[in-house]
This record gives sequence, structure tokens and C-alpha cells, in this order.
Amino acid sequence: MAGAATPGSAASQQKTPAKCRARCGTHSHNRVRNTEGRRKREGGMSKNVQSQVKGLNRRTLFAGTVSLLAMPSVLHSAHAATPVINVGVIMPLSGANAQFGINSRNGIELVADEINAAGGIKELGGAKINLIVADSTSTPTTAGTVAQRLITQNDVVAILGAFASSLTIAISEVTERQDVPLLTMSFADQITGRGYKNIFQVVAKASVIGKAQLDYTAAIAQAAGAKIDKIAIMYEDTAYGTAQAGGLRAGAKAANIEIVMDDAYPLGITDATPLINKLRTSGAQAVFPVSYLNDSLLIIRTMRQQRITIPAVGGAAGYVIPDFEKGLGEFAENVLSIAPANYDLAPGLTERFRKRFGYFMVHEALEHAVCLEVLVQAIEKAKSAKAQDVVATLHGAKFTHGWTRAMPGGTVEFDQTGLNTLSVPLMVQWRNKELVTVWPKDIAKSEAKWQS
Amino acid sequence: MKRWIVIAIVIAISSLLPLALDARGYWIRVLALTLLFAAMAQAWNIVGGLANQLSLGHAAFFGIGAYTSTILLVKFGITPWLGMLAGGALGALAALAIAIPTMPLRGHYFALATLAFSEVMRVIANVWTSLTGGPGGLSVPFLPPSLSAYSFKLLRPHAYIALIALIVVTLIFEIIRRSAMGYRLRAIKEDSAAAEVIGINTTKVKMQAAVLSGALMAMLGTLYAQIAVFFDPDTVFGVASISIRVALITIIGGVGTAIGPILGAFFIIPLEEVMNELLSSRAAGLSQLVFGIILIAVILWRPRGFVTVIKPTGRASL
Repeated sequence: MAGAATPGSAASQQKTPAKCRARCGTHSHNRVRNTEGRRKREGGMSKNVQSQVKGLNRRTLFAGTVSLLAMPSVLHSAHAATPVINVGVIMPLSGANAQFGINSRNGIELVADEINAAGGIKELGGAKINLIVADSTSTPTTAGTVAQRLITQNDVVAILGAFASSLTIAISEVTERQDVPLLTMSFADQITGRGYKNIFQVVAKASVIGKAQLDYTAAIAQAAGAKIDKIAIMYEDTAYGTAQAGGLRAGAKAANIEIVMDDAYPLGITDATPLINKLRTSGAQAVFPVSYLNDSLLIIRTMRQQRITIPAVGGAAGYVIPDFEKGLGEFAENVLSIAPANYDLAPGLTERFRKRFGYFMVHEALEHAVCLEVLVQAIEKAKSAKAQDVVATLHGAKFTHGWTRAMPGGTVEFDQTGLNTLSVPLMVQWRNKELVTVWPKDIAKSEAKWQS
Repeated sequence: MKRWIVIAIVIAISSLLPLALDARGYWIRVLALTLLFAAMAQAWNIVGGLANQLSLGHAAFFGIGAYTSTILLVKFGITPWLGMLAGGALGALAALAIAIPTMPLRGHYFALATLAFSEVMRVIANVWTSLTGGPGGLSVPFLPPSLSAYSFKLLRPHAYIALIALIVVTLIFEIIRRSAMGYRLRAIKEDSAAAEVIGINTTKVKMQAAVLSGALMAMLGTLYAQIAVFFDPDTVFGVASISIRVALITIIGGVGTAIGPILGAFFIIPLEEVMNELLSSRAAGLSQLVFGIILIAVILWRPRGFVTVIKPTGRASL
């Protein structure tokens, strides 16, 4: 008896947000608002956070048990024919990389809202984009499980994410087996290096970015009349750090530059003094630190406090977000960094981000925005929101307008492995709280300063 | 007699559950992970529950198992079934190597020593890039589905394998608990000095338990690698993601009982998922916060684990 009653109630709970999505149209682009709508209708619960949390305890325990039992029936009823297209967004919204995940989500939300406001996906009768945002935390297993959930519960046409390479790789293992496209801006070489057909990387690979970090630096030094023949590399021992350090080494070898210091350190060090002491005695003429935010602050601050004035050339991630400048103040001035993209190349687009969120459009937000733009263009071209039609279109076509113009190449085109072949890294420099593109010369907005 | 009927019914229901869930679906993955974590917690229970040695380093054996079978598969094309046996053997060796110096330690000293051991393993996996792939992690190659290659496109077979693993580990646990070794372990748990006096070689018995537990944990590492198909050193040697989690599952369910880890896993793993689904897009970290609050509430409510709901006396038995 009870068994007969529960699946029904769970199904109606699941259906309600689908109805809301259809009715609220442009306003209901994400899951958060849908769920809130449901809560209001279900009995006007207080807005007080405390009581929300209490209410959720019982509710989630109940919902968990019920949905576990009723899942097969819910799955089929959730496919109701609504004019929305679900797009999965998996980001680290908590844990060490939360800031980057939130930046990325902001970029995607901006584009989704813009497209919905402009009439949705025209080839599909103005269908609206409905983002399903989920937290991958910083564990790959969770990222994989979340991907499985979005594909089978929410029927997403594609997944965007997940900033950190290890999370993206874990998700790609699920999307590849489920035949759903995954669009990412993670750098790691393995992402497109495994011959998978459902993955698309809009930026250059870590090894290419690492090599450019060295080559551009050498070129900038030469243009300023300086010459470098001794450098130092320090990187965190994550997938991103080790891959990029590999690119730096390859670049140095090709340019006949001696690496006088080559140190890996664990993510989240609390004292950079030993590293900097070693740097001081190494005789390097430039230092290449590759790290996320906290380590980047420690390294640059310790360097400058010890009055080591050689130029520092960061490896994107922690070196190109507003918190870097906030944490370092004047020590940030003139620090160089490699980046896969920069907001000053397309101010017409990226200023919309600043206007909405109050800070400049960091590169991960920009590239994730491009991921969504490319996905929507592929859906338009395919005239279909079936995952495999979208994959086929993504492989063949050139994407030229909208947000793709903010990429250094101006165009996005994927090769057979899913790598965007037109993306070139660029060098940025901190100037008065802003990031200015200073290399390659043909797209630079200002001349590079070769000084600390 | 009556108890066996109950057990038969439970096994029958759990073997039907994977059939009821959508094979492409998310809940079957959650089910597979839940069964796997129940088995891992049960393996931990042999050392943590019977021998009363609170290990916070079981991720070490788990990671050894995951890496052994996957490296054998990637480099030599050896099926993970054989890799699992090799991993189990290495796990047993590692458990022996760590047990010799640490088993005489008690309480927090033992916990800290095991914790340090798993961290050492994590660092080794990070720096030995030529073997382990380093921080970039290892992917299990996507082979044509077959049972002998331990490769499936859908998750239902994984759920069944995890279920069988759980039954096997639980049987081993129960056999030990009822055997002479179980009585020796319980004697050590009650009063180690008294156990020595009546002639029990306490270090030897604890070491046997540790080696068995380590070997089983390593074999379960292979199951994990095949389900997750990608892992990196931080995942399989993780203190919070593996070591503490298996201890927590057992403690929440009921330490030293066969049913405890199963209750704990079926509470914690789905709860984490539901929290993530409902709350993770609202505010950063809210799902973990609520999860933590629920755990505290549960521990305050049932300090000796869920098992006391079934058996209010809290007697250590099924």
C-alpha cells in the first residue's frame, strides 16, 4: 500500500519544477530559483535560513528514501516536452578552487541570460537555456557522480566544466561512456590526448601554454634589450602545475636557456621562504611560478619583501584574478602572466560581465562563456538538441560570432581530438589593478615592461 | 533459524535493487558506491571494530589496490581480476610492513602512525610519475565490454560485483568474529594486559587482523578503480575521502558489528548525494555544512551507532 503511494508523490514533486520552468520562461534559468518557487508554493516557508536548514533535514531524508525507491518511474516522467534545453554546469563551488568555480559559473550565467533574453535558440522555436548547476567539490569521484546525475536525471544536452583538470577528466570518463559532449577550458594535455570523441577543449593545452610562457618571455626580454639565459621554475604538484612545468622545460631546452632551479611543492604551502631563499642564490634572471591563488600570493609577496627584483612570469590560474591584486597591492604591479585569453581584447563583450558582477571578466569566466556560446551555435546549426547531433556539428564546424570573438584567435574550430586549434596563449601584465595584454605583438594593447 | 531467514530476505532484496534502478542512471552509481563503501567499512571493521585499533590510514591499502590493478592493466594488459589478486597481495604486504612497528602502539598513537603511512603513500604516488602518472592521475582504458576484462558500459554489473564483495567481506568478518581469533581480539579489546596474562599473543593476533583487513581493502580498491575509471593520488590516498570516511561509516553504523558498516554506508553515501543535489547550487559549502550538522545530530542521538536502533542493548552481534 505504502509502496503504491510513494512513487506518485515523488513524481509530482519532480514535475513541479518542470512546470515552473515552462511558465516562468526567461526568469527561471537556473535550478536555484526553480526550487525556491517550489518551496513557496508548498506552504510559504519562512525566508529565515535557520528554518530552511531545519526543514531541509527532514525533507531531504524523506526525499532521498522516496526517490531511491521511485527513481525508475520519475525518470520517464521528467522528460516532459517543455521548450527548455537543459545544460549541465559542473564546477568546484566549494573547497580550494571555489573562487574559480564561481567565476566560471558567473560567465556561463551571463551568456545564458543574454541568449534567453534575445529570444532563446531560434532554430528550436525559441527554446530557453536552462542551466543545471552542480557542485563537484574538489574530489574527482564526486564530479563523476554529479555528471552521471545531470545526464540521466536532467537529460542535459551537454556539460560545461569543471575548471580543475582532474575534475574535468573524471567527468569526461562519464560523458564519453554516455555519449554526451563535454566542453571545457581545463588545460591538461590528457583531456584531448586520450582519443575521446565527446570532449571539446576551447583553450590551448598546458604544454603549449607552458612553452609559450617561456617563448613570449624571451621575446619580451629581447625587445627590451635584455637577454635571459638562466631561469627558475617553481610549480605546485598538481596535474596543471606539472603539465605546464613540462612545457616550460621544453621551451627552455629549445631556446638554449639554462634552468637553474626546478622545484615542485605541494598545493597549499604555508611558507614560501625556503623556495625564495633558493631562488635568491640561484642566479636566475626571471622566475616562472605556476600555482593557484594562495601560493601565488605567498611566492610574490616573499620575493618582493626580500627585494628580489627579477621579473616574475606567472602561469595563469592564481596570477590573473582580481584577488591576486587585492592580496598583493603594489607588489602585483608589472607581474607578468601567461593566459589563454584576456578581457581587454573584446571590451564590448566583457564589460557586460563587469557591469553585472563588479569585477573584470577573468579568463575562466570568459572561456566558459565561449563554451556555452559554441554549444548554442552548434545546436542552432544542427537544428537539434540531441547530444550526438551536437557532437557531430561541434567536430565539423567553424564558430565565428558572438562570444567566440573574445578568444585570441577570434574563432573556435575543433580538430578530431576536440582541441580548439585556433587558440593561442597570450601574455598579460598587471597595470594599475587591471590586466593588459602585452604579447604577441600583433594583438597587444600595450608594450610590455621588462622590470619588476 | 529465524535470523537466517532475515538475512536471506535482505540479500534477496538487495540483489533485486539494481534491477529496479535505471541501468544508465545516477542512482545505480550511487548504489554501487554505497555497496562498495559498505564493504570497505566492513574491511576496516576487522581492525577497527574487532581489534579496537582505530586506523586512519586505510586509504594506503585502498590506493595500493587501485594503482596495482590499473597499472597492470594499462602497462601489461592484465585483466583487473588478476590485478585485484596482485593488489590484495601487495596490500597484505604493506599492512604487515606497517603493522610490525605500529601494532604495539595504542589509541591515538596508532591512529597517527597509520595516518602518516597513507600520506607517505600519497606523496610517493605523486612523485613517481613514470609509474603512477603522478598528479595527473590514471585513467582506466575504455575496453569493449566483457566480464573477463571487467569492463561494462553500464553500471549494473558493477553494482552486483560490489554487492558480492560486500557479502564476502561481511562473511569473513562474521567468521572471524565467531572464531577463536574473534574471542582473542575481543579479549584484547576489553583489556589488553589481561589478555596477555591469559596467554594471548596480542601483537600477533592484531597483526593477523591488520593483514587481512589491508588485503581486503586493497582488493576493493580495484573495484573502485573500475567504477570511477579515473583517479589521482589525492582521491585514493585521501585522508578525508577514504580513511576517515570508512571509519565514520562504521562508527555511525555501529563499530564491531556486522550490520553496522552496512547501515552506516546506506545512511552516509546517499545522504551526501541528496545534500549535494539539493543544496550545492544554492551557496558554496552549504551541502557540506548541513551534512556535518546531520552527522553531529545522529552521533548525539545514537552515540553507539544505528545498530542500537535494531538491538537496543547494543550487544556486539548481528
